[in-house]
Amino acid sequence: MSAIEEAVAELARLPGIGRKTAARLTYFLLKQPRAVIERLAKALLNLAEQVKACSVCGNWSDTDPCLICADTRRDRSMLCVVEDAADIAAIEKTGEYRGLYHVLGGHLSPLDGVGPEQLRLDSLVARVANGSVVREVILATDPSMEGEVTATYVRGLLERYGVRISRIALGLPVGGDLEYADSVTIARALAARREMTG
Amino acid sequence: MGLVSTPAIVLHAIKYGETSKIVKLATRDYGIQSAIAKGAGRPKSRFGAQLEILSEGTAHLYLKPSRELQTLAGFEVLRLRPGLAGEVRRYAAAQVLTELVLRCAPAEPHAWLFEFLSRQLDRLAEVTSVKLDEAALSAVWQLVRILGFAPQLDYCARDGRSLGAGAARFSISDGGLVCSACAAGRRTALLSRDDREALQHLVAGSYDSPVNLSARHAAAHRRLLARFVRFHLAEGREFKALDFWERLPWRDT
Repeated sequence: MSAIEEAVAELARLPGIGRKTAARLTYFLLKQPRAVIERLAKALLNLAEQVKACSVCGNWSDTDPCLICADTRRDRSMLCVVEDAADIAAIEKTGEYRGLYHVLGGHLSPLDGVGPEQLRLDSLVARVANGSVVREVILATDPSMEGEVTATYVRGLLERYGVRISRIALGLPVGGDLEYADSVTIARALAARREMTG
Repeated sequence: MGLVSTPAIVLHAIKYGETSKIVKLATRDYGIQSAIAKGAGRPKSRFGAQLEILSEGTAHLYLKPSRELQTLAGFEVLRLRPGLAGEVRRYAAAQVLTELVLRCAPAEPHAWLFEFLSRQLDRLAEVTSVKLDEAALSAVWQLVRILGFAPQLDYCARDGRSLGAGAARFSISDGGLVCSACAAGRRTALLSRDDREALQHLVAGSYDSPVNLSARHAAAHRRLLARFVRFHLAEGREFKALDFWERLPWRDT
């Protein structure tokens, strides 16, 4: 296999990149100065060598514990459970949440062979178990069938520890038009409606 | 064939690329079909939240029989079945039905199989927690029967002799109950009179049956059924959802 074919094959393994795009990226890189390619290669190597899953929450980080877990100003009584580390970035962008996180590493999907053993559930229970400072667990798994059943399972695991367990709300996107929303989303938004108080 | 519309159930969905999904559909008119739903992951996708697994609706497909992957032009959901996510046991049982259909159902369309799956998913979503184990076991046993692997419960599966009432031995490898003569030296499970009657009701799918299994008995029935399926239907294939369902603890978590 030539160097070009090898690069195309490796790039095509990335999500969202097919062989055509991989070839385009390869030829783009070939036209760049050597320093650009070296910087990219170094950045990728650094990813492999320096970034690890945080031993506390499972977030990707180049420090252990990660910066969020190590931040003493964060509210340690709140724990937000997410499916993937990428979800943490999305929640952090809101600036509205100051608690800690726990990454499950996926959702229950028996058909794909993903059961409770494949998720980071033991460490979650350990963080919430007796003697913990955690008072509320927010289940922020995806609003899909798999995300819902995972939330149901986690709730079952944690309810014996006397913590408050909440689920993120599901409904209409901000700035969207009601008439263009799909019927499932509208139905869920109606089911999760809340009283307006003055 | 061009654009066709058919009732369909979403059996499986995986993300493809940045915004698309590849779905496996059980369709009433065109059998099992794989299709790509382009842009299904975009916030303003025309598919919206409708391509949830186990949901049912009308699929609009650009169908080309020579292709393995069809294009899904639209999906209008009729039943989302959120109740299936309310208990892990419900979801697990629904996934077992899905797995059996995906792995073992004939490729050609069978409207009755589609209707059966639709009915059973509705039942699993709505049945009370108390009757859930029976409903799940019955649904899976019935599907096994529909697929042509009904266990022999009236006669000895080896020599065809009539079996008396009462307790009896079940031989997985022989595909059903066996008489005491045939059971000698064979690996069998002893079914009490009650368990034998329960199994008959479960396989027959009589909804108003008097079957009322304890959690422990339900777990034992799950084990028997799982082993039966693995022996007769697996042919080297993995049944991951079945493994998960079989291992569920007696008490739902």
